[in-house]
Amino acid sequence: MIEEKDVVRLANLARIPLHKNDAQKLVHDFENILDYFEQLKEVSTSSIAPIAGGTLLSNEVRNDEKKINTLLSEKAIGIFPQAEDGFLVVPPVFE
Amino acid sequence: MDFNNLTIRRFHEGLTQKLFSVVEATTFFLDTIKKQDPHIHAYLSVREDEARASAREIDNNIKEGKETPLLAGVPCAVKDNMLLEGEVTTAASKILKTYKGTYDATTIKRLKNGSVVILGKTNLDEFAMGASTENSGFFKTLNPWDSTRVPGGSSGGSVAAVASGMAFAALGSDTGGSIRQPSAFCGVVGLKPTYGAVSRFGLIALASSLDQIGPVTRTVEDARILFDTIKGKDGYDSTTVDLQNFKSSSSVKDFVIGIPKEYFIDGLDDEVKKGLEVAMEKLKKLGFKFKEISLPHTKYAISVYYIVLTAEVSTNLARLDGVRYERARDVNTLSDVYMHTRGEGFGDEVKRRILLGTFVLSSGYYDAYYTKAQKVRRLIQQDFDEAFKQVDVIFAPTTPTIAFKMGEKSDPLSMYLADIFTCPINLAGLPSLAVPVESLFSALYSPSHLPVGFQLIGKRFHENDILSVGELYEKE
Repeated sequence: MIEEKDVVRLANLARIPLHKNDAQKLVHDFENILDYFEQLKEVSTSSIAPIAGGTLLSNEVRNDEKKINTLLSEKAIGIFPQAEDGFLVVPPVFE
Repeated sequence: MDFNNLTIRRFHEGLTQKLFSVVEATTFFLDTIKKQDPHIHAYLSVREDEARASAREIDNNIKEGKETPLLAGVPCAVKDNMLLEGEVTTAASKILKTYKGTYDATTIKRLKNGSVVILGKTNLDEFAMGASTENSGFFKTLNPWDSTRVPGGSSGGSVAAVASGMAFAALGSDTGGSIRQPSAFCGVVGLKPTYGAVSRFGLIALASSLDQIGPVTRTVEDARILFDTIKGKDGYDSTTVDLQNFKSSSSVKDFVIGIPKEYFIDGLDDEVKKGLEVAMEKLKKLGFKFKEISLPHTKYAISVYYIVLTAEVSTNLARLDGVRYERARDVNTLSDVYMHTRGEGFGDEVKRRILLGTFVLSSGYYDAYYTKAQKVRRLIQQDFDEAFKQVDVIFAPTTPTIAFKMGEKSDPLSMYLADIFTCPINLAGLPSLAVPVESLFSALYSPSHLPVGFQLIGKRFHENDILSVGELYEKE
């Protein structure tokens, strides 16, 4: 079953900080939920292919035409938390 | 003028006969919001100035003799997970509290083209994760008929607004029941369209293989009008199709209605049971024949749903890392930006689902959970396909209970189980119409008489079938 160290590892993978109490509560929640999921083991699925996505369509492509929307780019830059000369500013990646 | 007893068609007649103006109608709803919303908390933001401005513009167009679309001037609300260009769209999350849409969602664009007046953005469970609207990052919405109870969720704000006369109609989104379950709890009509019937472009994604936008209205007739306005192929969503190609083979009057035995279980509330009996009696009177069917994999739907959903949640919300959207203040390293932004911005339920999704997709567990769930999902879909060989429409309860009390479902699993009758339909990608047993126009709801609903599930892209049965039901 899932343990506190697993939850801590998952939280780190998902970039979510956890307090000590959060981790214990999550272990308890996950135990209940994963225990419920156990019921899926009853279902025989050896010859069943998994569904991929919600649509029955396949190979849908849009027309191959050039679309440049500079106005949209400007608006997108406008909502960045920090921008300079049209570029997104982030703290240094390498320290 | 009382706008609370009108259908969209009668509103349109009144408008074209000049019985009232769009400005008058808009003012009526804005006044109702001012009076009612301090008690219900359905709206996250009200666009008073913008709504008045578009009302004046529509009135001018009518004066100038321009064509008046059927939806012209109808004051609507939209769930705050659909983008409006230049306006704050939060998905009820603190992590997006200042985020402004850079374009209109396709559904919003289509409403605007239909000259709808958009009154404001409604509350929801954060990122649409929940069944009660208690999980909003800002405040809880109350059930308009009993303030100690939830309105349902996640489209609780849209539904409460329509039920309490604070909007003529609204848009919601439905990933596992988020339009239909609150509609049942508040006594209004809600349509979850077939996956691919309505564009998701501009909808902040919860689970991309399950999400659909749909109407919340007072009547089935109105739901059809709103659906016709927003549906159809959209170049920005490659899963959309042109619905004109789908016609029913038999006439509505000859429809056989399926009753899935797995949906009529012991856990149903007495009120719900009684309501369903009333509804079935009425449908029988209309001449419909019933046939018992079986959807044998129903009991696995919640497990499948919460595996697929959380997996998609964990990937969809990865982009909210403080780089392009809201960023935590006073942090110096990139890793702190991620951690602080997500730690402070996401609520508990969102964090829980991201972690659960990360778990079911992680190495060593992927096949046991995610792949297994997608296999059982196919079996659930096949159950419906088999059933629809024998029947035209399926009748089922929308929820096992009436609206539950605030705070009643504090354990996450018990909240997840509230989706038991609605999420199988999303997993199978089918359309489903939630109809109140008693119409909002005739029912006198109160804390001692709360709404009960049923749903009509249709074949893929056969929205017309369920809407037609629903219209006959509400006219009887």
